[in-house]
Amino acid sequence: MPASPVIEVERLNVTYGDFAAVRDLSFQVERGELYALLGTNGAGKTSTLEVVEGHRSATSGTVRVFGESPQDRRAVRPRTGIMLQESGFSPDLTVRESVGLIGALSGRQDDVDRVLGVAGLTHKAGTRVAQLSGGEKRRLDFATAVYGGPELVILDEPTTGLDIQSRDALWAAVDRLRDEGSTIVLTTHYLEEAQQRADRIGLMHQGTLRQEGTVVELTRTLPSVISFGLPAGAPEPPIDISRANGVFHVETFGLQEDLYRLLGWAHDNGVALQELQAGPTRLDDVFRAINRD
Amino acid sequence: MFAIARSELIQIFRNRLVLVTGLIIPVAISAYFVYQHELFADQASLGYIAAVVVFTVMAFGLYATSVTTLASRRQNLFLKRLRSTAAGDADILTGLILPVTVIALVQVVAILAVFGLVTTAPAEVLLLAVAILATLAMMVGLALATAGLTNSPEHAQVTTLPISLLVIAVASWVGIAGTEDLTVLKRALPGGSATELMVDAWNGGVPLADSLPLLAPTLAWVVVAISLASRMFRWEPRR
Repeated sequence: MPASPVIEVERLNVTYGDFAAVRDLSFQVERGELYALLGTNGAGKTSTLEVVEGHRSATSGTVRVFGESPQDRRAVRPRTGIMLQESGFSPDLTVRESVGLIGALSGRQDDVDRVLGVAGLTHKAGTRVAQLSGGEKRRLDFATAVYGGPELVILDEPTTGLDIQSRDALWAAVDRLRDEGSTIVLTTHYLEEAQQRADRIGLMHQGTLRQEGTVVELTRTLPSVISFGLPAGAPEPPIDISRANGVFHVETFGLQEDLYRLLGWAHDNGVALQELQAGPTRLDDVFRAINRD
Repeated sequence: MFAIARSELIQIFRNRLVLVTGLIIPVAISAYFVYQHELFADQASLGYIAAVVVFTVMAFGLYATSVTTLASRRQNLFLKRLRSTAAGDADILTGLILPVTVIALVQVVAILAVFGLVTTAPAEVLLLAVAILATLAMMVGLALATAGLTNSPEHAQVTTLPISLLVIAVASWVGIAGTEDLTVLKRALPGGSATELMVDAWNGGVPLADSLPLLAPTLAWVVVAISLASRMFRWEPRR
């Protein structure tokens, strides 16, 4: 029998007055996967996450986390670590006291020093939160989310404000959690992070889920692009091309085949292609295409 | 709950503003009343001094400090953070309010103990304790309700004034003028019946059967305050 999903969202609607922030949204997150929920500002990600976290009630629809209502804190929270988008720590407490407090309330067991080490905050243990930089506060947030190795970790824009070294350390910690079987839900504005790490991605726009799937499934919906320039007087190649600002573009679902044809034509005709670029469709392209709708 | 209470206690002692408004000002005002007890006893009674000391500590030490604390914790999203854990709402609120409440209670007991030693002991200790506890519950409820209307700790300096001044004014009016005229109004005002109970309990001379009915409006205000709190308290800042 297959394991039941960790998160089940079914026909979720969230409205604020007349404004529908989330409309008829359905998705599932399976055990052990990293699911990225992406979208522009105002796409409905935060409202969706807040319902999944139990911070907000759904206007209609059903959300289950581990088969329970997310608002049943005693049932759900000991299994869930939440990294909020905004900090939410008391400025007068130290880093150690903050992790100790949230850890004690998490319903999980862990060693505060170990968690501080995971988040790279050991040297800041005795520093008051008011004296931390923005990046250090994000790491503190991460530390409280991963305290006790929860089965589900919700990361709301985890790397915003982090330098590259801290980002790498955070992703290494997330990888270790995944190795131990944790399920991760991620929102981020850094699409390359989602492209590199997500098992599945949900793309939201204007409150609805426009596309969902693996990176391969999402990117194959759009053609790849070959772009190049031609020297003056050169003939045009015998493939469908468009031209903008002196640069030729070929949109293709057969990248390798068309690139081979183009290079063969250039070789046969003695044409040196200028600034030749060719690459598969990126998540950015899918994202932009959705937002153009 | 106790983990939250412990962290709150740490924060109280690290925050000079809270220390001054929550601990030093109420104690200083109360000390003045105790020091000048002969003057105030001439104008009213020893029971009045006991009542006004209780309401001063409850207004500044408990009520205003609680509103400031809750507004601050909400403004910096600490409440949302706590709600991201397995702790229930009641545990969170109790943990946040407990240190201030215990400190206020200890202050009241200590000041009244000194006052009793300097003057005379209260005639009905149990009745006095009930009146103090009911006042404490009312002020906690009003603090939660007022916190719902308070956007920031700075804003709390304004939003706490009406109720703080009102309950001290009512305590002074009832304590000095008595309740022989405008009886119903005075007893219906927040803290009015509680003041009369405290005055009776300290001074003595009033049959218990005459004092006990005063518990009804006193407890009614507790219910009103808690009801207001449940309707008005907010966990997150307005967007």
